[in-house]
Amino acid sequence: MFSQPLAHHQHHQSLAEADAYHGKSAETRHLKPGELSTGTTIMAVQFNGGVVLCADSRVSTGSYVANRASDKIAQLHDHIWCCRSGSAADTQALTDYVKHYLSQLAIETGRLPEVKVAAHLMRRLCYQNKDYLMAGVIVGGWDPVSNGAVYNIPLGGACIPMPFALGGSGSTFIYGLVDAEYKENMTKDEALALVRKAVSHAMARDGSSGGIIRTLVATEEGNVKEFISGNKLPYGPAGW
Amino acid sequence: MSILAYNGAAIIGMSGKDCVGIASDNRLGIQYETVAMDFKKVFKMNDRLFVGLAGLATDVQTLDQLLRFRMNLYELREERTMSPQVFTNLLSNMLYEKRFGPYFCEPVIAGLDEKGQPHLSTMDLIGAISSAKDFVVAGTCEGNLYGMCETLYKPDMDQETLFETLAQALLASVDRDALSGWGGVVHIITKDGVISRELKGRQD
Amino acid sequence: MSELTSNNNLSSSSTGGAAGGFNFDHVHRNALLQHQLATTSAASNNSSSNSSILPLATKTGTTIVGLVYANGIVLGADTRATNDTTVADKNCDKIHYIAPNIYCCGAGTAADTEKTTELIASQMELLRLNTGGADHSRVVTACTLLKRLLFRYQGHISAALVLGGCDPIDGPALYQIYPHGSTSKLPYTTMGSGSLAAMAIFEADYRDDLSEDEAVGLVRRAILAGIFNDLGSGSNVDTCIIRTDGSVSMGRNDIMPNEVGPLRAQVKRSEVMNIGKGTTPILKSSFVKSKMMMSGGVSLADVTVTAMET
Repeated sequence: MFSQPLAHHQHHQSLAEADAYHGKSAETRHLKPGELSTGTTIMAVQFNGGVVLCADSRVSTGSYVANRASDKIAQLHDHIWCCRSGSAADTQALTDYVKHYLSQLAIETGRLPEVKVAAHLMRRLCYQNKDYLMAGVIVGGWDPVSNGAVYNIPLGGACIPMPFALGGSGSTFIYGLVDAEYKENMTKDEALALVRKAVSHAMARDGSSGGIIRTLVATEEGNVKEFISGNKLPYGPAGW
Repeated sequence: MSILAYNGAAIIGMSGKDCVGIASDNRLGIQYETVAMDFKKVFKMNDRLFVGLAGLATDVQTLDQLLRFRMNLYELREERTMSPQVFTNLLSNMLYEKRFGPYFCEPVIAGLDEKGQPHLSTMDLIGAISSAKDFVVAGTCEGNLYGMCETLYKPDMDQETLFETLAQALLASVDRDALSGWGGVVHIITKDGVISRELKGRQD
Repeated sequence: MSELTSNNNLSSSSTGGAAGGFNFDHVHRNALLQHQLATTSAASNNSSSNSSILPLATKTGTTIVGLVYANGIVLGADTRATNDTTVADKNCDKIHYIAPNIYCCGAGTAADTEKTTELIASQMELLRLNTGGADHSRVVTACTLLKRLLFRYQGHISAALVLGGCDPIDGPALYQIYPHGSTSKLPYTTMGSGSLAAMAIFEADYRDDLSEDEAVGLVRRAILAGIFNDLGSGSNVDTCIIRTDGSVSMGRNDIMPNEVGPLRAQVKRSEVMNIGKGTTPILKSSFVKSKMMMSGGVSLADVTVTAMET
């Protein structure tokens, strides 16, 4: 049933048209009417022995918050995770594909996949389907080869290894902050404090980011998921 | 102007006690130009099942032919007549298959089920079924038809009262619609047979 | 391509065979019709010439909700379907069957929610039969099948769904599915044009430890908020309780706050509205006797059956 692909029948916006379409960031201005967007602030930071990923929890349709406690940090494999920004539907479909490929790869090779491989699978999908996708993804995690790596895969489908990566509409507010505060070879606790501080600042200034802060620490020992509820953020408007 | 209103139509299906009726106007137009005053919009599918098709005339006739084809095939294969419920689902699926390039047609289905009880249903142009116990309407004066039916309908009408109610609801509605009218036709379906009557109406 | 010249159609789809899939034959024709009608009506000084000539499909303006409580899931829906501003159906059913332990509320284009849930219900049944014939399905499976279908059609199938059910692996599970194919698993959710009114009720009174009665009460209040505050929603409240023990209680027309019966009964009908027999002028009348028997043809009861010797 429903075997006809629809892609051939749809009209695509030209870039000029898309630019006339007002939006907060590169991710959100290409959305179709009514499409869900993870308005979003996401980031990932390397530290000694692992990676910490962090995201806000707001999902919006226009000005309505469709989900105020969503989880934008998706698991791709045992120690490999990704932060999603852009269209919720597109990024969910992408992570489902990468998750599938990685589980196959792990079975075929009989060992843990590298973060680099996960990132390049994601990049391949993002690049090959860039005309149809609105997805900005940060892949991060631990593997025995890299001992922790972060890859930024922005809108067009590039794949850039980075010591830390920021993404989503809220990221523009905190680049300076993170540039100033980031140090090489941080401890896990230093990295956690950094991402929480940065994301809470972004959430305070960006209307499309908000809710709670979710963090994930991926190390050789495993993964630790935590969250800070909206009334206990390290930074926020007075009176919270 | 919507394509559904290009040719003009007014159709009502209404239930009575052990009977069900379907009525339509006779006009075929091309926007404001009237082309024919004897255009058939209600089609007999079997002795206890009628379908009215409001919308673009080309699709009305195409759907009638396709439906007759499918009905005949069903009767040959299954050696039984099609129930109104099955017919409704058949038509709904035919319309939804063309979800992204639809027939511009809104059907009204009126018939008696296996127990001789009234079955009424209608659907939009892509096959969303809506069933009713009292009445269903379709066409360019849908608003008028709803108003008349909501006012005149009574439960458990006999054949003759059902006929008069349908006829008056139809005629009053089309008199305030430029795109439908030119007399009408009413079919009353009972377990014994079908009463068909041509109505005298305004010719303007 | 017409029905008759297209060999494929003649052999499969139009003969009732299971060809499956959408048919795009009329897309080009309809685009031409739209173009032609738009240009001719613009020329004829029609004041409404700017509006699209493509007709509107029936939407379910809709308030639909779902919530998780300790012992299961409660789903709720209003019963109004609209076509533009006309109420197309005053008592439609928006809680669709997916599996014996899974139901799904639908908002958006009525045909899309109806056919999409029907299709997934059938896929779920086949999956159960192909994998050991269990009497229940997993809610995540239904969610994944739905999101894949909707993602494939890039939002063109406008079905916004609230999917809820209980299975032995995940217990009670509630998903929100958007037309573009994104999903979230939530403790409580609302969708449709009345979702804001309903969410206001949920945000005020939802707790993690609701009893079944409290949960159903909360769902009813949320739907009523939609019915009375959102113009796209109306008529009655439908509810559905799916419990972890596998039992399901369908509350079709659970509350009927807008019954017209009592109102109509108060109306003194004028004599004018009781139309006497012979009122309408008739040009021609005919009676065609039915050839069908009331049982609908020959049944096994009408046939003398002789046992075959073996």
